Amino acid sequence: MRKLGTVLTSVAIMAMTTVGNVGAAGKGIVIDGSTTVGPISKSFAALFMKKYKVPVTVSESGSGNGAKSLINGSCDIADMSRSMKPQEIAAAKSKGVNPVQNVVALDGIAVVVHPSNPVRALTEAQIAGIYSGRITNWRQAGGPNFPIVVIQRESNSGTQETFRELVMKGKQVARTAETQASNGAVKNRVSQTRGAIGFLGFGYVDASVKKVAVNGVVPSVTSVKNRTYPLSRPLFMYTNGRPSGMVAKFVDLPKTPEGKRIINELGFVPKY
Amino acid sequence: MNLGTRKLLDRSFTALGFGSIVIMGLALLVVLTPIVTKGVGAFVFQGTIEHRKLLLNEFHRGDAREIEKEAAETNRSRQKVFDMLATFDQELDKMDYEQQSKYRDSYGQVKTALRALFGPLPGDSEPALTRFQYGQTRWNKAEEKLHDLLYEQKWDYSNPDVIAKPYDVSRAGAFTGTSLAGLFPYVEENLDKMMMPEWTFYWGFFTEKSLDAHFFGGIWPEIQGTIFLAVGAMVFAFPLGVIAAIYFTEYARDGFLTSMLRSANSTLAGVPSIVFGLFGLAFFINTIHVSHSKSVLAGSLTLAIMILPTIIRAAEEAILSVPKTYKEASLSLGSTKWNTIMTVILPAALPGILTGGVISLGRAAGETAPIIFTAAVSVGAAIGLGDVLGSPTPALSWNIYNLASEHEAAAEIRHVQYGMVLSLVMIVLLLNLSAIILRARISKKLKG
Repeated sequence: MRKLGTVLTSVAIMAMTTVGNVGAAGKGIVIDGSTTVGPISKSFAALFMKKYKVPVTVSESGSGNGAKSLINGSCDIADMSRSMKPQEIAAAKSKGVNPVQNVVALDGIAVVVHPSNPVRALTEAQIAGIYSGRITNWRQAGGPNFPIVVIQRESNSGTQETFRELVMKGKQVARTAETQASNGAVKNRVSQTRGAIGFLGFGYVDASVKKVAVNGVVPSVTSVKNRTYPLSRPLFMYTNGRPSGMVAKFVDLPKTPEGKRIINELGFVPKY
Repeated sequence: MNLGTRKLLDRSFTALGFGSIVIMGLALLVVLTPIVTKGVGAFVFQGTIEHRKLLLNEFHRGDAREIEKEAAETNRSRQKVFDMLATFDQELDKMDYEQQSKYRDSYGQVKTALRALFGPLPGDSEPALTRFQYGQTRWNKAEEKLHDLLYEQKWDYSNPDVIAKPYDVSRAGAFTGTSLAGLFPYVEENLDKMMMPEWTFYWGFFTEKSLDAHFFGGIWPEIQGTIFLAVGAMVFAFPLGVIAAIYFTEYARDGFLTSMLRSANSTLAGVPSIVFGLFGLAFFINTIHVSHSKSVLAGSLTLAIMILPTIIRAAEEAILSVPKTYKEASLSLGSTKWNTIMTVILPAALPGILTGGVISLGRAAGETAPIIFTAAVSVGAAIGLGDVLGSPTPALSWNIYNLASEHEAAAEIRHVQYGMVLSLVMIVLLLNLSAIILRARISKKLKG
């Protein structure tokens, strides 16, 4: 059984040397961040791998995590559904990272309810009332006598931050609000809960939930494009410095006809 | 206690034991049955002509001539539908604006439903996304989409004071008196001729890459990622764990330091896995930068720390269970301590050590939390062995979560999620089974 010892020792030595081999840089493009931008990133990645044979990986961990990854230098592109905060930019600068904003597409935050809910339209004030806990029954918002289940996103979400900025305007979200960790999870919850209200990026809205008009404007590609829909926002891909090489090609995809078609087909609004 | 009572007690205890085993078996059945039945649906299903076209175009698989013949045949049946659309387009042109707008919405919905069934309609530009380039690849999904074509689900909002109930409206009704009315019964009757469903065993589900964010194709990148991560974790944890166990059992003197080390090890075993995940991110990636992004290496190291305590304990138990007489005999023959450990104790303890190792391997394969921040991505190609140091990878456990909650079209591709669950369960079961067999073989050899 001397062999066993040799094997064990050599494996251990191998393990140690591999740990010592630090700083192996990846060849591909690593993307992290927003779940809202996720569908665009994933489809661009598929296109990119086919076209240029460059491996692209996409993680959907939320805008906040995307920013952190970029600051720590552990991703090439940070998907974000909000712009970077001054603290994040400062943190990046202190680590020698220079975040540059690239717009991918335009998006609206659709306010969605269960399809059985007869409410067709809400004003911004009503939505703020519902999320701040002032309105707790659909009857107070022109609907049936049914308690409202409020669904929000986690603090890491760019959609949540944009929603708070555009709708809540500094007011706190009620503590009774339920938190879901991704656009998909919100959609799931709203489509299965009769009194629920939630908000989603356009790319996630399908027939299982019902969009409501906000301030009388129906959320649609047109109303986002002509800026009449009040809850519109751009979606970003942040890079460290002006992108170059393959990363530049990737963030410029939204400007190409193919990229625009992908954005359209996914239900988002092309910017360029 | 008299004999009668003792017998009664004995019997009732036997019954209790038997009962609990039956309950356990039933519970296992309840868990495993849906996993297996639904999971098998991912690769054994009635595939339509669209599925065969997809395989031919994207993976160059299948008999091209045969598929073209089938496609031509289905196109003949489909052509009638397209002709009806064309006739109705002409009819629409002749109507005045008001009449047109009466049909516009429902006509758009009909076209959308037809695209879902057959892929792009004649005159459509080629879609950029693969998911829109093909119709329904699975017969059961095609039947669902047929329902969407025939009926529109509406909600009764007539009374704004109550929560509405859904009801189905036949779409054909909206088009009575037009040339489109004939389309609905035609599609309903001839759908099988237009789709040609055939029982398909799609083994490519396990060996092919995924297309368009898991809409089509297989789950090989995930399976491979899982194997890389689990094996990587073993490469680090197994030797370290065995060495630590030898130290604890043979060299460590009982004292303050040893008891501290032992309790540290036990504590480590009880730490929730998400804590390891965050630690892995903070330490391996952000502090010592083992790789520039998430990577298999960082994930393996994190998993290794997580399973280390289990391996140490299993190895310790196995070493302690070696009879003292073996060691004494070896030492009395003049062998050194190191030689005794290597030639007498470790071989005798090997079955137990290996069992612990393989069970930890199964745990590493199944864990999600430690790899969220250190290794796993939702989309990525299968990586080569040379890329494990710097590249992140998709992995089964994480992608199951991603498809269950985050994916933008989760409801459309449930079968992929079920297939992934089955694959992961099979991998872990196979690992555990191989542990049992390995153990049996080695103990037999040692006795023999």
